[in-house]
Amino acid sequence: MVGGLCKTFLKCLIGQHTRLSRDHLTPELILHLITPACHLWHASLENSPLDDPFWAFYWPGGQALTRYILDNPGLFHGKTVLDLGSGCGSAAIAAALAGASKTVANDIHPVAEVAIEMNMEKNGVQVKPETYNYLMCQPTPSQNTPKFDIILMGDMFYDPDFTHLISKWLRSIHPDSMVLIGDPGRLPFRQHPLQSSLKCLHQYNLTKTSQLENNGLTQASIWLLHEPR
Amino acid sequence: MSGLRVIVGCKRVIDYAVKIRVKPDKTGVITDGVKHSMNPFDEIAVEEAVRMKEKKLASEVIAVSCGPIQCQETLRTAMAMGADKSIHVEVDAATYENLQPLHVAKILSKVAQEEKADIVFTGKQAIDDDCNQTGQMVAALLDWPQATFASKIEKANGELTVTREIDGGLETIKVQVPAVLTADLRLNEPRYATLPNIMKAKKKPMAKKKPADYGVDVGPRQSILKVEDPPVRQAGSKLDSVETLVTKLRDAGLVPS
Ligand SMILES: Cc1cc2nc3c(=O)[nH]c(=O)nc-3n(C[C@H](O)[C@H](O)[C@H](O)COP(=O)(O)OP(=O)(O)OC[C@H]3O[C@@H](n4cnc5c(N)ncnc54)[C@H](O)[C@@H]3O)c2cc1C
Ligand SMILES: C[S@@+](CC[C@H](N)C(=O)[O-])C[C@H]1O[C@@H](n2cnc3c(N)ncnc32)[C@H](O)[C@@H]1O
Repeated sequence: MVGGLCKTFLKCLIGQHTRLSRDHLTPELILHLITPACHLWHASLENSPLDDPFWAFYWPGGQALTRYILDNPGLFHGKTVLDLGSGCGSAAIAAALAGASKTVANDIHPVAEVAIEMNMEKNGVQVKPETYNYLMCQPTPSQNTPKFDIILMGDMFYDPDFTHLISKWLRSIHPDSMVLIGDPGRLPFRQHPLQSSLKCLHQYNLTKTSQLENNGLTQASIWLLHEPR
Repeated sequence: MSGLRVIVGCKRVIDYAVKIRVKPDKTGVITDGVKHSMNPFDEIAVEEAVRMKEKKLASEVIAVSCGPIQCQETLRTAMAMGADKSIHVEVDAATYENLQPLHVAKILSKVAQEEKADIVFTGKQAIDDDCNQTGQMVAALLDWPQATFASKIEKANGELTVTREIDGGLETIKVQVPAVLTADLRLNEPRYATLPNIMKAKKKPMAKKKPADYGVDVGPRQSILKVEDPPVRQAGSKLDSVETLVTKLRDAGLVPS
């Protein structure tokens, strides 16, 4: 959790370095993002005052997943939802808009937590930001991941270093949880052992802007995880 | 023919805008503290491979660089441009001074076999050594067809139609995949990698290998006798009018009086 003064500072920093954008697959949502109009878009990583601002980009997997939620609100109505690696918070915000009874936007990045709060306020819904690291914890029966009806993962297969942690964690969650994954065809995902347990629900074409932000990618798909995990 | 796997050779070279200085002992050029970047023709090859991926012609783009640890920056650039993963074949700085196209070609061929590649894409030449050999040698080692100096690449019924830049004109040929392609200057204009792409590339997979992992002996096959500067040009002078220029040219007997 980020303290009060620090939070005010981070909110200023986020406001200063991002634009409010609807230029993505889910224009219903307005999000603080680094766009081509921002100075940072053209900066080098070394000159960025924000450390790895993954939350400031709306990743293609997250865009597709959020689109899917907005297009299928009935699936989420009255459900408890965990968005793991929430980033800008879009998927959690969409689930809340669809009428989820409880939505947790989980991201270990402390600045993401603040950005999610700002984005949730802009879209007039409540989600619960949290920075707990489910992937790194050693789940014991007493501190298992609480039961969620639906678990969302937008573009979480971008880092080959923790894709195996995802598999391990998925084996520890409640067997009744429905797991939905959004991914644009990243290599660590395409080569992941989970592949044989996935069913493709839908495929979306990325917007031009998203393609510019993600050289080489043109589409993203929604996958449902089914047994055996 | 969808889903081609493309390997792109990415050489780290002294930046094209840097003024090259020869070492005092004439064994090579000074590289320490000099700005390096990806060989421009390799950038063109990466760009074309990524466009093939965007057109769903290719399924995977793998960037490969042989050389010292700094080559990893070159590979990050390739991945920021859209390559899916990369392989760094580390060759220490001393050995790298004598690494020759044949060595690189052998390594690229082995990588191509291991990765079950359909296309090996290189630049037509590297702007440092100007050898123009690597792509051709890969084709020979793998016994694959080659389309060099490509300025346009299209797919047609399981074949690639490649327009080549040749002396005074263009040649259009067809090659079956697997094939080796080399990129010429006019093939495309490479994109510039923006922060979101650079940031996302930080997490893309990079494998670290050694030539020995591919069974390639990198002992030199040639020795460099000497490297020399081009002859120094005589200094010119600045003139303040066209009349003075014409007078000068007349005086020098370069135009009729
Ligand atoms: C990736 C790459 C590939 C290349 N491939 C080739 C190739 O295949 N073949 C090839 O020939 N070259 C090639 N080049 C070299 C490139 O084409 C040269 O930059 C080009 O030939 C221009 O040379 P220059 O350095 O004289 O530059 P420029 O600045 O472009 O000068 C061009 C000419 O303009 C005149 N000029 C410029 N400024 C002045 C001035 N202030 N006053 C009076 N006159 C002036 C001079 O006559 C000068 O030679 C390549 C370069 C790159 C980066
Ligand atoms: C690729 S981004 C995806 C963001 C968002 N889901 C989207 O699609 O736009 C991955 C996010 O996961 C977060 N993350 C990384 N490791 C995590 C972990 N162990 N638990 C939760 N979040 C994590 C990062 O901070 C980052 O914001």
